[in-house]
Amino acid sequence: MKNFLKITLMSLSLIAFTACDLEEELVSDFTSPYVKAAGGGGGPTYSAGATDGSSQRVSDNIAGAFGKLRSGSAGHGSYWSMQSVSTDEMLVGVKGGDWYDGGIWVVTHRHTVSSAHGPNGNAWNAQFNGINEINNVLAGSITANEKAQLRVLRAFFYMRLMDMYGGVKIVTAAGQDPAQSTRKQVFEFAESEILAALGITAADVLSGSIDLSGSDLNTSPAKYRINQYGAMGILSRLYLNAKVWTSANTAGTDGTARWTEAANAADWVITNGPYSLVTDANFSLPNLSARPASSGLNDPETISGVLTIGAPNNQDNPEIIFSIDFDQASGKGGMPFAQMSLHQPSQNTFNLASQPWNGYQTMEDFYRKYEAGDKRLGWFLSGSQKSSAGKQLVDWAYDDKATAEAVAADGEGVHGTLDLNYSPYINELEPDSWRQSGARMFKFRHKQYQNNDMDNDFPIIRLAEMYFNRAEGRSMAAGDWSQGLADVNAVRTRAGVAPFAALSVQDFIDESGREFIFESHRRTNLVRWGKFTDAWWEKTGAKGGSVGDPNKNLFPIPLSQIQAANGSLTQNPGY
Amino acid sequence: MKNLTKLKSLFTAVFLLLGTSLMAQTISGTVSGEDGPLPGATIIVKGTNNGTTSDFDGNFSIDASSSDVLVISFVGFVSQEVSVGDNDQLTVSLVSDNELEEIVVTGYGSQREKEVTSAVTKITAEEFNKGPISNAAGLLEGKVAGLSIYSKGGNPNAGSTIRVRGISTLGGNVSPLFVIDGVPGASIDNIDPRDIETINVLKDGSAAAIYGSRGSSGVIIVTTKKGEAGKIKLSYSGEYSVAEKMNAIQMLTAQEFRDFNGADLGASNNWVDQVTRQGITQNNSIAASGGFDKTSFRVSVNTRDVEGVVKATGFQQFNTRASIQTKAFNDKLSLSLNSSYTRRKSDLGNSQVLEFANVFNPTAPVYFKDAPQTIQNYFTEEQITRSGGYFQTLGLFRSFNPVAIQEQGIYAQDRNEFAYNIALDYALTDNLKIFATAAKNRSSAENRTSRSVYDYNTQANLGDRAGRVDYGDYENESANYEIYGTLNSSLGSGVDMVVTAGYSYNEADFFQKTINVGDFPDEAIDYSYSIGSSEDLLNAGLLGLGSYKAPTNKTIAGFGRVNLVIDNAIYVNASVRREGSNKLGSENRWGVFPGGGIGVDLNKYVGTAFEKFKVRVGYGVTGALPSGSGLSQLVYNFSNSDQATTQARAANPDLKWEEKAETNFGVEFRNGPLDLTIDYYSRDITDFIFDTEIDAAVFGFNRRFENVGDIKSTGIEFTGSYDVNDIWTPTLTLSTNKSELETYTTKDGITTGNLGSPGQNATNMVLVKEGYQIGTIWGPVYDGVDTATGKPKFKDLNGDGQIIAGQDKALDPQGDFQELGQGYPEIELGFNNTINVGKFQINAFFQGAFGHSLVNTWRAFFEPRIGSQFAYNFVNTKYADDDLKAAAFSSLYVEKADYIKLANLTVAYDLDLPINGISSTVVSLNVRNAFVITNYTGADPTPSIVDGGYDAGGGSLSGSGNILAPGIDRRNNYFDSRTFTLGLNINF
Repeated sequence: MKNFLKITLMSLSLIAFTACDLEEELVSDFTSPYVKAAGGGGGPTYSAGATDGSSQRVSDNIAGAFGKLRSGSAGHGSYWSMQSVSTDEMLVGVKGGDWYDGGIWVVTHRHTVSSAHGPNGNAWNAQFNGINEINNVLAGSITANEKAQLRVLRAFFYMRLMDMYGGVKIVTAAGQDPAQSTRKQVFEFAESEILAALGITAADVLSGSIDLSGSDLNTSPAKYRINQYGAMGILSRLYLNAKVWTSANTAGTDGTARWTEAANAADWVITNGPYSLVTDANFSLPNLSARPASSGLNDPETISGVLTIGAPNNQDNPEIIFSIDFDQASGKGGMPFAQMSLHQPSQNTFNLASQPWNGYQTMEDFYRKYEAGDKRLGWFLSGSQKSSAGKQLVDWAYDDKATAEAVAADGEGVHGTLDLNYSPYINELEPDSWRQSGARMFKFRHKQYQNNDMDNDFPIIRLAEMYFNRAEGRSMAAGDWSQGLADVNAVRTRAGVAPFAALSVQDFIDESGREFIFESHRRTNLVRWGKFTDAWWEKTGAKGGSVGDPNKNLFPIPLSQIQAANGSLTQNPGY
Repeated sequence: MKNLTKLKSLFTAVFLLLGTSLMAQTISGTVSGEDGPLPGATIIVKGTNNGTTSDFDGNFSIDASSSDVLVISFVGFVSQEVSVGDNDQLTVSLVSDNELEEIVVTGYGSQREKEVTSAVTKITAEEFNKGPISNAAGLLEGKVAGLSIYSKGGNPNAGSTIRVRGISTLGGNVSPLFVIDGVPGASIDNIDPRDIETINVLKDGSAAAIYGSRGSSGVIIVTTKKGEAGKIKLSYSGEYSVAEKMNAIQMLTAQEFRDFNGADLGASNNWVDQVTRQGITQNNSIAASGGFDKTSFRVSVNTRDVEGVVKATGFQQFNTRASIQTKAFNDKLSLSLNSSYTRRKSDLGNSQVLEFANVFNPTAPVYFKDAPQTIQNYFTEEQITRSGGYFQTLGLFRSFNPVAIQEQGIYAQDRNEFAYNIALDYALTDNLKIFATAAKNRSSAENRTSRSVYDYNTQANLGDRAGRVDYGDYENESANYEIYGTLNSSLGSGVDMVVTAGYSYNEADFFQKTINVGDFPDEAIDYSYSIGSSEDLLNAGLLGLGSYKAPTNKTIAGFGRVNLVIDNAIYVNASVRREGSNKLGSENRWGVFPGGGIGVDLNKYVGTAFEKFKVRVGYGVTGALPSGSGLSQLVYNFSNSDQATTQARAANPDLKWEEKAETNFGVEFRNGPLDLTIDYYSRDITDFIFDTEIDAAVFGFNRRFENVGDIKSTGIEFTGSYDVNDIWTPTLTLSTNKSELETYTTKDGITTGNLGSPGQNATNMVLVKEGYQIGTIWGPVYDGVDTATGKPKFKDLNGDGQIIAGQDKALDPQGDFQELGQGYPEIELGFNNTINVGKFQINAFFQGAFGHSLVNTWRAFFEPRIGSQFAYNFVNTKYADDDLKAAAFSSLYVEKADYIKLANLTVAYDLDLPINGISSTVVSLNVRNAFVITNYTGADPTPSIVDGGYDAGGGSLSGSGNILAPGIDRRNNYFDSRTFTLGLNINF
C-alpha cells in the first residue's frame, strides 16, 4: 500500500503541475490592426503624371478602409449583382446547362429572393466589414482630414445598407451591440456624419449658402479618396432618396422629400468643382482594347468622350470625382466584368487571361433605348465577333443543334450557327437562354491581355450624376420637369445624340438609365421612381415573378444574420 | 478531485463484495512460478469470497473443506484450479501466460485480452489484407467492425479516408490517432506493411481516453516486428502487379455521338483509353533480424514502384526501418531505438484529366493536323501554335483536350519523412516500472507543378502569359515526450492492481512556402528549374509568393489510470486525463476527462465453462479540437496593395473544449470453433466547435469559431468467426452507425457541398441541421420532365400548391426540399474466408456497404440533353431521358450505392523447398477488386465520406476536404482499378 500511495501522490502531482505556458502565438497572422504613424508616410510614394493610376494614390492611414469598397462593388455575387440583376438593365440567363446555379439569378431578376440568398448575404457582410474597418481605424491616431473622410465613407456604407435592407444596427465603434435602428434613423445618422465632415448644416444646404471653409475635407484631386466634392456628391444622392429612406413603409411614400437640398448639393459640385463632362473634344485615351493592326480590323488607336468613362486607363478622367481603385499590377482586384459577361470564344478577341463565363446579358429592351448614333452603344459588344487575329470566332456549342437552323434572323444577328454573334435579342430568361443572345458589357472596357481582375476604376460619384441629381431635384421641387431639361441635355448631347426639346418623366428615366447602366444606380433609382415593382419582360406574374409588391423594394436581411443576431434583428416585411 | 471520490467508492464496493467467509479445515501450500516462489499470489476457495495471498516465500494457508476447489492466480500467470480432496499440503506451479494468452496493447501499457474492458480489436499480420497495398491503412480495410477505410478510386497517390465509428465531430479532427511503436501522431504512410506485427484498434471512448484529444476519433496502435536473440533471420518478399481500370463512366462512343447529332469534328477517339494504361507495380522488401545475448535488432528495406492506371501518375518509394532493443542492469533497464526513413517521389497527375477524358468531344482528333481541313480552317496558325499542336475546341467552357493536359504538365511531389524514438523502461522494484519516451517526426514535401508554355488550360497560358510553375514546400514537425510509471501490486483478497500515471507533452509545427510564376520564353527546358526566366517577375499582379507558419500547437497532459483484477474474473479500469491546449480561449484551455470500464468473466458466475464468456461496459470522455490555428483569436489579414490590415476573423475568448462522451457495452464469447464479439455504443458530442456565422454589425466580421451544438451517435458492431475443421474459417464483421445533429445553434441549419461549375453553383447538396443525420443529401424530388420546355418538374412536397425548388429556399418551409439519401452507409460488411488445404491457403475477402447514396455528379452535369452539350459528350446511363434538356440538381441524380465486392482473393502455396537454410518459400497470386455487384451507374459505389470539392483545379487530389458533405461522387474521382499480383515470400 505504501507504493500505491506514493504512485497516487506522484500522479496527482503530475496532473496538478501540468499547467504550463499555453499561449498560442500566431506568427503568420496579424492579431492587431497595423496602423501607420499618424499623418501618413511609410507607404509607397507615387510619382505624379504616371498613367497607371498611381498619381491618384496617396500615402495615408485609410487605404484599408477605402480598399473595402472593392469588395462586391464591381463584381459577381454580391452588391453589384444584386443591384443590377434585380433591375431592367441586366439578366443572367440560364443557358441550358450553364448558369442555373440553383436558380439564384432567376429569382433575383424576378424579385422572389429569399433571405437565404447567398449573394444578398454577401452584400450585407461586405458593407459591415467596411464599417468595422472604418471603426477600427477611427479608433487609432489619424489626421482630422482622414477622420472626416472615414465618417463620410462610413455614411456611404450605411446608405447602401438602408437602400437595400432598410433599418440596420448603427455601429460606430468595435464591439457595440446597439438596437436595430429604423431606416429613418440610419438616414439621419448618415446625414449628420456627412454634414459634420463638411462643416455645414442641413439648413445651409437648403438655403444654398454653402461655405466649406470649416470642413476637415480638402479639395485634393485624388479620386480614390473623398474630398469636399465627393462628400457633397454623396450628400446629394442621400437627399435625392430622402423620401424613400425616411419612409416608414416599404413603398417609400410617407417619408420626407429633400429635393431642394439634393439639387443644391449637386449644384455646388457642378459650380465649384474642377470637373468637366468628358466629350470627344476634351478627353481621349489610348485604346487598350485595340487588336493589332495585323488583324486587319482597324480598331481605333484612341478612344474619346463617353468611351473613356469606364476605360482601363480612366484614372485621370476629368468627369470622375470619387472612384474605386482597381489595379491589376498592384493586386487591387475585384472587377471581373469581362469574365462575368463575355462568351467563352471572346477570350480570343481580347486574349483574356482565362475563359469568360458567358453570364451577364443586357436586357434587350434596355439596349434598344439607345438610338442609332448614340456613342454610348460603344459600351456594349454586339453583333459578329472576331478574334485578335481578325478571324471569325466560332462557338462549337452553338445553340441547340436540333432547332438551331430553324431560328430566324432578328435583323441584327443570326442565331444557331457556328459563328459567334451577340444579338440584342434574348429568347428567354430560362431554361435555355441562347448562349449568344444579349449585348454584352463593354462600358468597363476589357483591355488586351486582360487578367480576371480588371484595371478599370469604378466611379462612385461622377459629374454626370450631379447633373441628373440637380435636374431631378429641381424638377421634383418645382413639380416641373422643364427645370431639368438643360442638365439632362448637357449629358445627353455629348453622346452624339440630339437634345430633347422637352423633358418628360419617362425621358428622364430612360436617359438616366442609358447614362448610368452598369454603375449599380438603377435599382435605387427605380425604387425612388416607384417603378421597381413594375412588370417587365419575363418579370411577370405569369412567369412566377413578383409584381406590385412594395415589400420587394427592400431585400431581406440575410437569414444567417437574423439567426446570429439572436432576436436583435427584425426581418423586413414580406420575407 | 471528483474523480478521486469516484475511485474511493469503487474500492468500497469491491471490498464489500469480498466480504468475509466461512471457516473449515486449514490447508497450507506453496505457489511457485518458473523462476521460484511467487509472493502475493491469490488463493481463493472457488465460489466463495474466502481467499488469501501467498507470503514472501510463496507459502499460504487457507481454510477449506475437502470438496472445495482452490483457484490460484497471479498477474502474468495462468490461473490454476486445484481440488482440495484429502490433501492438506499443496504445491502449485503456475505457468506464465505470456505465450498462452493474447496480449492487447491498450495505451501506456498492455493487458491480457480477457482483462480489457473496452472495445479493442487486435489484428495480426496473418489477418492483414494481401496484395499491393500502397498504404498501411489498406491492411485493415474491412477487417474491423466499426473501422471504415475507404480509398475511393484507384489513384495510388490518394490516401485512405479512415473513420472509427463514423463521424465524431463537425469541425474537429475526424481521423484516428496512429500510435506507432509508442509514438502518438506518427504517420501510417511511411511504414512498409510487411514491417507490421500487430495493429490494435481502440474504438471506444474509455479506451481512447488515456490518449486525450488526439485520440478522440479512435486510436490505432501499430507495433512493428522486432528481432529476437538467436540466429539471424533473413526474409525477402517481392510482388509484381498489373492494374487495369474497372468500371468507366458510361459515355457515348464517337459513332453514337455522331448518330446523336453531336458536333462532328471528323475523328473518332476513346479519350479514356487515350489517357489510361495497364499500371505495373513492383514491390521488394528485405528484412533481417536477430540478436545476441541481451540485444536484438531488426532492419528492413522496401522499394515500391507504382504506376497508376491513368498515365503519368504513380510513385516510387524507398523505405527503411531499423529497431534495436537491449537490456542492462540485471535486465532492470530496457532500452530501445526505432527509426524510419521514407522517400516518395510521386507523379500526381492533372486531376481534371479524367473529367475531360469523359466529356471531351469523342469526334475530336488528338492533334490539329489530324483534323479535316474544314475544321482546321476555323483556327489561326497562332492558335494552333499556342496549343502546342494539340487539338483544342477553343471557346468551350471547361473543355480541354485530355491528352494535351496530361502531357503538357508535370505534377510532381517529393516527400521525405523521418521518424525516430528512444524509449526506456526501468524496473525500480519488481512491481514498479518507469517508462520514458522521446519521439520526433519530421516530414517535408515539395510540390512542383510545371505547365508547358503550350498548355491551354486554366491560368497557365493566359493572354500573353506562357506557361506557369507552382512550387509548394511543406514542413511538418512534431515532438512528443512522455514519462509514466506503472505499479503492480496485490491488494490481497484476490484483488490485483496496476496503477499507471504519467505526463505527456506534444508540440507540432507547420511551415509552408509557395511560389507561382509564369510566362516563360519557349519550350526549351523545364522552367520549374529556372523560374528566374519568368516574365511575370515584371508584373507584381501575376507573381504569387506566400509563406505560412502555423503557431506551435501544444498539448500538455497528465494522466493516471488504475486497473484492478478482482477474483480473477472482474476487471475494472478507471482513468483520468487533465489536458491543456493552446488553441482554446484563455479561460478554457484546460479540461479534465475521465474514463472507466468494468468487465466480468461470466463463466465464473453463471456456472458455464465456455472458453470465454465476458461482458464489459466502458465509459470515457475525451476532448476534441479542430485542426486550425488561432481559433479563439482575433485575426487580421494584411493587404500589401493597401498597406493595411483588415479583420479576417472575430475573437472568441470563451471557446472551450468540445467533449465526446462514449458508452460502450460489449459481449465476447468463444467456445470451440465459434468466436463472437458484439459491441453497442452510444456517443454524445457536446459543444462541438464550428466556424459559425455571427452578427456582422456587432463583431465587424461575420464569422468566428464557436461551440455550437451537440451530436449523438449510436452503433452496433458484430464480429463472428467459425472454424470449420481447421480448413475453412469464415469471419463476418458487420457494423452500423448513425450520427444525428441533436442541437445546433443555427436553428434553420446550413447547406454545404456545392455541385459547382458549369451552371450549378450555389447548389448545395447536403443539409446540416438539428434533428437530421450527418450527411443528409437534400434537394427537390424529380417528377418527370416538362416536354414543352425540357425542364425537369419537381414534386410539391409540402402540398401548398406551388413548387419552389430554388436553392435559396432550400432551408425555407416554403421550399419543396427533402432528404434524398444518406452519404454514410447504414451497414458496413466484411466477410473473410480462409481456407487451408494442404500446402494451399486461399483467402477470399468480400467487402460491402449498404444504405448509402451517392450524388452522381457526372450525370447531374452531363446527362441532360442540353443544347450546348452537343459539343461535349453525354453521359448515357439507364436514367438518360432525351426529353430532359435542362440541368438542375434533384433526386434524379441521387443513387443508392449499395454494393458488395470481392475485394481480395489470394491463393498462396508453400513450395516447401528442400533447400538448406530456407525455412519457407511461399508463392501467391492475388486479385484485388475481382468484381463488384451494384446498381450504381457511376464508376465506383464506394461511399465518399469526405468531399474534395467540385474542382481540384488541376493540382493534386488532397485527402483533406469537407467532412460535412459525404455522398458526393465528384468528376475528379479516379476510376477504381482491378489488380493482379504475383508474390513471392522467402524466409531464410
